[in-house]
Amino acid sequence: MNAADANMPRSIKEYLDSLRAALEGADPALIQDALSDAETHLRAECAARPGETEQAVLQSIAQSYGSPADVAAAYLEIDRTVQAALAPSPRSSASRPPSTPQGAVKRFFGVFGDPRSWTSLMLLLISLFTGIFYFTIAVLGLSLSLGLSILIIGIPFFIGFIGVSRLLGHVEGRLVEAMTGERMPRRSPAANTSGWLDRLKNIFGDLRTWTTIAYQLLALPLGVIYFSVTVTGLAMGLGLIGPGILIMLRSLALDLGLDPDLNIQIWGASPEPTSIEATLLSIATIVFGVLFLTATLHLARWLGRMHGRLAKRLLVSAAA
Amino acid sequence: MSELARKFQRDLNAGLVALVLLGVLAESDEDLYGYDIAKRLQRAREGDPLFKEGTIYPVLRSLAASGWLSSRIVPSYSGPPRRYYRITDEGRAVLAEWRSVWRETRDFVDQFTGPSPLTEASSQDA
Repeated sequence: MNAADANMPRSIKEYLDSLRAALEGADPALIQDALSDAETHLRAECAARPGETEQAVLQSIAQSYGSPADVAAAYLEIDRTVQAALAPSPRSSASRPPSTPQGAVKRFFGVFGDPRSWTSLMLLLISLFTGIFYFTIAVLGLSLSLGLSILIIGIPFFIGFIGVSRLLGHVEGRLVEAMTGERMPRRSPAANTSGWLDRLKNIFGDLRTWTTIAYQLLALPLGVIYFSVTVTGLAMGLGLIGPGILIMLRSLALDLGLDPDLNIQIWGASPEPTSIEATLLSIATIVFGVLFLTATLHLARWLGRMHGRLAKRLLVSAAA
Repeated sequence: MSELARKFQRDLNAGLVALVLLGVLAESDEDLYGYDIAKRLQRAREGDPLFKEGTIYPVLRSLAASGWLSSRIVPSYSGPPRRYYRITDEGRAVLAEWRSVWRETRDFVDQFTGPSPLTEASSQDA
């Protein structure tokens, strides 16, 4: 272990850099969690021993806190075990290739049983409203900051806006993780520096601050697209299934209280309401509607996954 | 401690850290934050710590993700904000179960490796 002691970082920054290097290639959210934990702990340690230099503290920490390699190994190990425990979840089983045609059919309709598709659908539907909200905050904040910049109040206003925007980014991250399962940082972006000037410098130097604002601006157009696509898909699917069922019931001569003269056109044909053609056509309509609905759910799940990745790129610092 | 002994200790720790953390939080009347827990563990033992402090944080996080701990963030005047942990009822149930598993395991292992003449003799052989 002597070799490790010799390589032990001499400052908190060096420690965090080695830890980041040791975690290279891991999930960005995990890296952010690990760095935040380490920084909080090391700073607390330094604060607890005010008489000593950072270098002395870090050297004595070598034994108690663990080298960057040890700590990185612990995070990776836990993440691996947690991932393994989650493995039988529908999300990961859905990504396995189908081995038989039966499997393919099961997989196609399995989307109904996958909670991810419903949560993704929810995310896409509310994304219009969160998108409007984020966009408004971002545009209002940026333009007011710019407008007020000629007055002294512009500076604190801008700083406050950046703070709000980072907080919203974190909340959005939690939401996206809950809905799509994409792992996002579990820690709020704490500026782990004691001086407020250092803290500000960190925040403004952090690329994530700016990508978060970009995300919020992007949220509106994306929300409009997601909302339109899902609502159209749902409306088409349900709009085929509902009337299909009605026509079928009527073709079976069930009294639904419909106007007997009401002539329904399906697929360009207007069969006799109680004819066998009407039954067949209505079945085709229902089948088509179900297929459309299933495809919409697949699309929603896929869009949710893509959105999760985008959110991670823009809202998690290590990914930038 | 030799390198081999260290590796053995690490392998043992894989499950034990979670057990100890649940135990520490179950014993405590107040909520504790990571650094505080680390220092409690350090104080409980002279010499080299059994767990590296850095390795308890991911375990705390995974325990919280399992719903066995609840946590809240409290801003601190002296430094970065602290995340305080508290054990949940579910966590206590898990701890009770794990505790009995640990006792049984320990007693079983002790039967073969305890301070008996048999072990003394074999360790002298080695």
